[in-house]
Amino acid sequence: MSAKPQNAPAAAGEELALEIERVFNAPRSLVYAAWTDPVHATKWAPHGMKIIHTEAELRPGGKIRVGMRHVNGAEHWESGVYREVVANERLVFTHAWEDDEGNRGPETLVRVEFEDAGPGRTRMFFRQTGFSSIASRDGHRQGWSESFDDLAAYFGTL
Amino acid sequence: MPADHLSATFSALADPTRRAILARLAGGETTVSELAAPFEMTLPAVTKHLKVLERAGLITRGREAQWRPCRLAARPLREVAEWVEQYRLYWEQRFDRLERYLDELQQEKPHVRKTAKRAGRSRRRTRT
Repeated sequence: MSAKPQNAPAAAGEELALEIERVFNAPRSLVYAAWTDPVHATKWAPHGMKIIHTEAELRPGGKIRVGMRHVNGAEHWESGVYREVVANERLVFTHAWEDDEGNRGPETLVRVEFEDAGPGRTRMFFRQTGFSSIASRDGHRQGWSESFDDLAAYFGTL
Repeated sequence: MPADHLSATFSALADPTRRAILARLAGGETTVSELAAPFEMTLPAVTKHLKVLERAGLITRGREAQWRPCRLAARPLREVAEWVEQYRLYWEQRFDRLERYLDELQQEKPHVRKTAKRAGRSRRRTRT
């Protein structure tokens, strides 16, 4: 990234991607379980949110669906399908927010990888892509703008 | 943030050649033939891509009839970046929660928490 001139758009030369790297003070199996085991998966909701439903068919092609309720009562649902499931190593799944009728908004692809980072520590690589294909995939503008409004409203509640 | 603008921007960005053109323009304004050179593409093909980019408001073109120079227009890209940024905030916040939750779990089992003190706060690197 450093080769780019200042103010150059991050989206220009490569696929638009969101990347986050974190090191957690927990063994790999536990960090992986936090993503996959409903017992743990409900415990790290966004601020002000409570996870009220989790569904995770942990296999390629298996469905994921998570429901959350904000303290103000508003519900938010996200869903997707697992593309890759490698225990303690890698999860790849599609991700989209749903509107009130359960219609899925723009879909992105999430990839999470886990590796050892010393005794009892785990480095997690998170990468979300697909932002730039959203509009072309999602031909009907109405659906797109509605789901975008949802998303904007959703982030506004955080 | 107007969703229509974002749709047009995303459509325009969905093509790798157009992203490459934008990357070149990030280095400064240039002419169509200069743009076409590295792409092994005919001038009309490049012009077609430029029209898509121009319609999406991602570039502007000079009015000089002879060599209408192409310039990068930053605003729509900034809108996309902001949208991605919202997602980033969402995940960062969740990962903060995850970090605390994992710490809580480890505290319940002190024998597996040997390295925690030394490790301190988790390192993070983000890129959009």
